[in-house]
Amino acid sequence: MTLILKQLFALFRLLNSDTGTNQIAAGVACGLILGFAPMLSLQGLLVFLCMFLFRIQIGAALTSAVFFAMVAWLFDPVSHAVGVAILETESLQPLFTTLYNLPLVPLTRFYNSVVMGAGVMSVLLAPLVFFGSKLLIALYREKVVARFKSSPAWKLWSGTTFFKWYSTYEKFHG
Amino acid sequence: MDKPTEGKKPVKKQGPIRVEAVVPMLIVVGATVLYFSLFFDAHLRRGLEYGATQANGAEVNIGRLQTSVFKATVLIGDVQMTDPLQPQRNRVQIGELRFGMLWDALLRGKVMIDEAMIEDVQIDTPRKQAGKVLPPPAPQSGPSASDKMLATMKEEFSGNVVGDLAAIAAGANPSEQLQQIGGDLKSDAYMAELQRSMDETEQQWKARMAALPRGEDFSALRTRLGNVKVKDVKDVAQLQAAVKELQAIRDEFEAKSKPIGEAGTGLSGDLKGLQTSFAGLDDVVREDVRGLQARMKLPTLDARTLSRALFGMDVLNKVQQARGYMEQARQYMPTKGAQQQAKPVPRNIHKGRDYAFGHPKGYPAFWLRRALVTSRLPGGRGLSGEIRDAATDQSLVGRPMIATLKGDFPQQGVAGIKAELVIDHTTQEPVERMELSAARYGVAGRSLVDSPNVTLGFAQAVASASLTAELRGEQVKMQVSNRFSDVAFETTAQSTVVREMMQASLAGLKTVSMDAGVRGTWGDLDWNLSTNLGDALARGMKRYLQEKMDEARKRIQAQVDQRIAAQRQKLTARRDELESRLRSSLADKQAQVDKLRADLEAARSDLEQRKNAATDAQKQKLKQDANQLLDKWRR
Repeated sequence: MTLILKQLFALFRLLNSDTGTNQIAAGVACGLILGFAPMLSLQGLLVFLCMFLFRIQIGAALTSAVFFAMVAWLFDPVSHAVGVAILETESLQPLFTTLYNLPLVPLTRFYNSVVMGAGVMSVLLAPLVFFGSKLLIALYREKVVARFKSSPAWKLWSGTTFFKWYSTYEKFHG
Repeated sequence: MDKPTEGKKPVKKQGPIRVEAVVPMLIVVGATVLYFSLFFDAHLRRGLEYGATQANGAEVNIGRLQTSVFKATVLIGDVQMTDPLQPQRNRVQIGELRFGMLWDALLRGKVMIDEAMIEDVQIDTPRKQAGKVLPPPAPQSGPSASDKMLATMKEEFSGNVVGDLAAIAAGANPSEQLQQIGGDLKSDAYMAELQRSMDETEQQWKARMAALPRGEDFSALRTRLGNVKVKDVKDVAQLQAAVKELQAIRDEFEAKSKPIGEAGTGLSGDLKGLQTSFAGLDDVVREDVRGLQARMKLPTLDARTLSRALFGMDVLNKVQQARGYMEQARQYMPTKGAQQQAKPVPRNIHKGRDYAFGHPKGYPAFWLRRALVTSRLPGGRGLSGEIRDAATDQSLVGRPMIATLKGDFPQQGVAGIKAELVIDHTTQEPVERMELSAARYGVAGRSLVDSPNVTLGFAQAVASASLTAELRGEQVKMQVSNRFSDVAFETTAQSTVVREMMQASLAGLKTVSMDAGVRGTWGDLDWNLSTNLGDALARGMKRYLQEKMDEARKRIQAQVDQRIAAQRQKLTARRDELESRLRSSLADKQAQVDKLRADLEAARSDLEQRKNAATDAQKQKLKQDANQLLDKWRR
């Protein structure tokens, strides 16, 4: 829980700083794939591994995974229809037969209509979400953070002793 | 680019790989190992208990469970499956179940068990606590034809025929309960329908009669016919004019008389229909009498009814069990045809639908190749059996599932068990066959009749049983036989007469046999059940009850007849009156038609004669003229 909270605080800090746009956007994209995938699946494990190994904002990934899991649940009928269309495509049957009988691959549950449909949709949407997130973060920093920092309330708050003390603390302890 | 400024710590540029993630990764791996070491077995045990409970329909307990992840082995001990019909007892109890799975299959998401050991199997064991029984699953799309059929049979078999007969023997007179028949007789409704039908018929015929040609129409034709010169024809031209006029009158007459002829045919048909409907009233009255007999609990005193009442529920339970197992087998081991059929939208859209892309050498989702069942007891007695090829996709495995079992359950007093179950779903038509026999088992305190007036059961008996069943597609073929020997009956009754009657019926009966055959489709099963106990009871009870029951039946019949007599008489009178009126009205018109037809015929005949006479005269005159000319010429 501490690790998750730490990641969430880090997300807010990064979001309100001038750096880490790519990390957050990659986190959101990973969250999309995680949210659309079954909770216990090979592809979920792989995404987790990527999140740990690469500099992806884990807080952004977990937050967006929760959000996208709800979206995926609403879109299950669509995912089912897409999955059925893909899994019943005649020309892909030999490929699916090979994959079905390979080691490990069946653990992705690709042979399930909802998993296949949601998986394909999440992979297709991931680049869009990545670039969309970057755009939104830039807009957020420009419109919301900058305006907030120039507001009288923020100026009043940043002039307090407590804020100065916290800023000093943060400078040393990060 | 951020530059290090005075007073700020220089920010070290970080690469894309998170090197510092090694420690959290190790923590995650450690937590996973810890989970599998400490908690996985307990969680799996609870999961298995839940799944097995759902499949069994009653609580299933697993005493212990041990897994080895690296060896892929599972050991399950002390499995108790509650009997849903007797929650205080276990249907099956298994001492230990061991099996190992192939990693090759597990890596492909499949479960392949090469050999399993099932040890210390027992049946019908007592439980420390009564097991929880699940409510029956709600039907997904209303009851099917087979559900309705089985529900009807259940209603019939669960009736207490013997108890009702005992009540009559004890002095109850069912017909006396029939003080006033309620207003829900089918005969009343039928007669109201007859009344409505007659009203409709009358209205229709009223309209039809009004549309038929009237007397004036025929009078006009008659006048025209009178004006035709038939007798005073002077020349051929007049004759031709008369023939033409007569033909015109005839055509008009035919046009007008045709609806009358058709109405006659129609009326005969309608009146015949009314007669048939009235005859149907007798059937409805008989149905009412039967219904009242049932309502007054006046059973039929025959061996067939008694046999069904005594053992029908037993046979029905076996049929329902067989159906339940069949449905599960067909759900979890679908046939090749069922897999290829167009698949409907899944019940839970969030779970989607699983596709199988197997190939001839692939694994099915689950495959138990062989399981050995053993249960060794002191003295060399026990149980042995084998289960082969239990697989979710038999068309892939290419072999049916075969389970055999033989031996004894000495603790339960059951000896000589032989069982063979074949589930063949390798082809498009699913086939399930079962042969089960028990050479000897003890029966004690088994109730056959339990009513306030009388109870009947086996205090003690030695029984043998056999069951053969073949379920092929929708076809059912089942044969159940039971033999109870050295029977000691246990019967109680408050009334002395009933006690005497039961004792007299059962005197000398030491062996009871029951044979039942069930055939047909699930929606239309033909039940054939006979037992010598039913025969004996029917014979014995007849001596005491036949007179009373005949009297009661007559009284019910008389009351129903009396109830409907006035209305029936009224309806009959109205039908007769309607028939007479319509026939008479139509007969008048028909008489007019017939008379005019005769007149027309006479006129036609007259004209024909005159035409022939004129022609003959003409011919004669021509002949004379010709002769005169010839004579003149010869001279």
